[in-house]
Amino acid sequence: MNPAVFEIGKFARLTVIWLSIIFGAVWAACWAVGVFAPALINASGMPTETASLASEVLRALVPVVAVAVFIPINAMFMVLCERRALALFTVRKGPNRVGPDGLLQTAADAVKLLFKEDITPHGADAVMFTAAPIIFFAPSIIGVLPLLAAASGNHELFRSVNLPTGIFYVLAIASIPVVGIVMGGWASNNKYSLVGALRSAAQAISYEIPLVLSIVAVCLMAGTLDVVKIADQQKDSLLSWNIFGGGALLPYVNLVVAGLQGNNEQVQAIMQHFQAQPLGPFAAVLMVVCCIIFFGIYITGACAEVNRIPFDLPEAESELVSGYNTEYSGIKFAIFFLAEFTNLFVVCSIASIMFLGGGHAPLPGLEQGFTEMLGGILKQLPGSKEIFSPGWLINSLVNPSTVSQAFWIILKTYSLVIFAILIRATLPRFRIDQLMAFGWKRLIPLSLILLIALTYLRELV
Amino acid sequence: MFGLVGRAVESLYYVCVGLWTVAKHTGRAPITKEFPDTMPDLPGAFRGRLALAVNPETSEHLCISCRQCERVCPDKCIDITAHKSPETGKLELIDFKIDHGLCMFCGLCTEVCPTTCIINTNDFEMSDYSREALIYDLKKLTLTQDESAHYFSKKYLPIPKPKPKPAPKPAAAAAKPADGVAAPAKPAPPAAKPAEGAAAAKSAPAATDKPAGDAAATKPTAEKKADDSKDSEKEKAAPEPSAAEGKAEPDKTEG
Repeated sequence: MNPAVFEIGKFARLTVIWLSIIFGAVWAACWAVGVFAPALINASGMPTETASLASEVLRALVPVVAVAVFIPINAMFMVLCERRALALFTVRKGPNRVGPDGLLQTAADAVKLLFKEDITPHGADAVMFTAAPIIFFAPSIIGVLPLLAAASGNHELFRSVNLPTGIFYVLAIASIPVVGIVMGGWASNNKYSLVGALRSAAQAISYEIPLVLSIVAVCLMAGTLDVVKIADQQKDSLLSWNIFGGGALLPYVNLVVAGLQGNNEQVQAIMQHFQAQPLGPFAAVLMVVCCIIFFGIYITGACAEVNRIPFDLPEAESELVSGYNTEYSGIKFAIFFLAEFTNLFVVCSIASIMFLGGGHAPLPGLEQGFTEMLGGILKQLPGSKEIFSPGWLINSLVNPSTVSQAFWIILKTYSLVIFAILIRATLPRFRIDQLMAFGWKRLIPLSLILLIALTYLRELV
Repeated sequence: MFGLVGRAVESLYYVCVGLWTVAKHTGRAPITKEFPDTMPDLPGAFRGRLALAVNPETSEHLCISCRQCERVCPDKCIDITAHKSPETGKLELIDFKIDHGLCMFCGLCTEVCPTTCIINTNDFEMSDYSREALIYDLKKLTLTQDESAHYFSKKYLPIPKPKPKPAPKPAAAAAKPADGVAAPAKPAPPAAKPAEGAAAAKSAPAATDKPAGDAAATKPTAEKKADDSKDSEKEKAAPEPSAAEGKAEPDKTEG
């Protein structure tokens, strides 16, 4: 067999194993805290008020537990995935020594980093030096919370973290990490760190504008800031995703389908609708183009926001030793590392919720069919009403709709992560003046023009 | 404005071409050599650890203690101990030391060696815990017959002729392999060439391919001579190998 196929197979196996570990752990932790423990408390014969209070507190803790379990394991997987995927793209093998086929490489790295000496350089501002990684890392935990609601299909345990202004909150939180970077660079008492930190600040400010404008465009089309609602509006099929104009093309596809089926009444109805909007088809196509460009702008801005190649100027190895984290070692460096990869995951999951339909399947009927099938299987289980019987355990553990949504959003988000790795393997680093010119002179005007165009096109469709 | 759009589209096109090129590389077999598991396939001319070869066919040591390698070594890392045998009056190798901690693997010693005895092997794993351990002695340097055969074929070296043995001294054969080949230093009296030697010389030009036959041709003469001159007649024994060597030299240049 072709050895390349073998390598891709190994990569796929690694991904599947790690994803099962990550989401199995998250799922189990959420179930234990949010379902099993409250049921145990209720069954234990406590006074009713105490029991209900305790179970309420436990349920409220579920999102926090989910994130706390998810982030470290996920960062481990993403580092390994990045190294293996880069190896695939550059015709190498990548880490394959630790554990079976290198599966435990990053776990070993994490242990190594935790046991390393924590050095504070001479002349550094110790308090800020310690606070910087925390300030850098904390927003990625806080910011990911509203996304959980959208990713789990507004599951009742995660409903509490769904904010009416969800995406606004996420964006606001996402601009905090740059403070941590500047603090770390300044407190290190090292000129390379300082230059890296200042570059990072300049870059984050420049690229946040097109990033936010592309999100604003999506919110404009959706008419809401609530991530769950934005995701739900895209549930029909591929064509109602925001990257394809949020359903702008849907009436025309319906027309073609109705025409092919020979359903004359429906064709007449749709045609009447079009006569009211003669510019409709034209506007719809333009809108799709605008949305695809906005998606490109979002990906560009997101790459810059999380300091990834080709925008990794804050940690340009060839110019600044390692940028803002030059002086960091041990657990603080590990936290910086963790936060970087978590940020990458967060921007990718925002992209998949805002543009790629969140947890909804690309084809109509796929999601519903899966949900019904799984629900039917679960109903067959014996004793699902009795508490703590196997049927109850499985029924409370597996929620068909959440399983389906989680599957699709995981697929979409990690595809985007792999795409970011592909970009990293391909493109060289920008020069700092090119970076600034590209941000201010190209991306921001482009996104402003497109935003205005989208505003009018929306009315015409 | 349109120029700008055109340039944007063009650059986007090239970015996509780049992404596609990289993505296509996923379908290639990795070029990684997993070194400790699979040894690299090194070419014969690779200059690794130095070693002393033996004749791949007769397993006699090829070194003649001529000290050419010791003289040419820029690092002075070769140390040869040899003495003149009181019995045969020829150089006898006692010890051969190479300090691989000093060696820079220039390969000059292998170029000057008249008998292709000292060669660069493909072995490069010499790491050790002390500098002293890098000084290899004769026992450590000498290759086995199989290894020698492997390197002779890998480096395309002509198989050297077996040296005729002056006396049936199997124990001393390895210790004093210098017997025959040290002789050319002396002027070889051509008149002393016996008839059998001439016969061997006749068959020699074609003999590089079939040294076994050659060995068969020369062996009886050597043994005969040895019988004749047990201890005292050293001069008689010397011309005989010199004759063999005398034909071996042009043989090498021709082949």
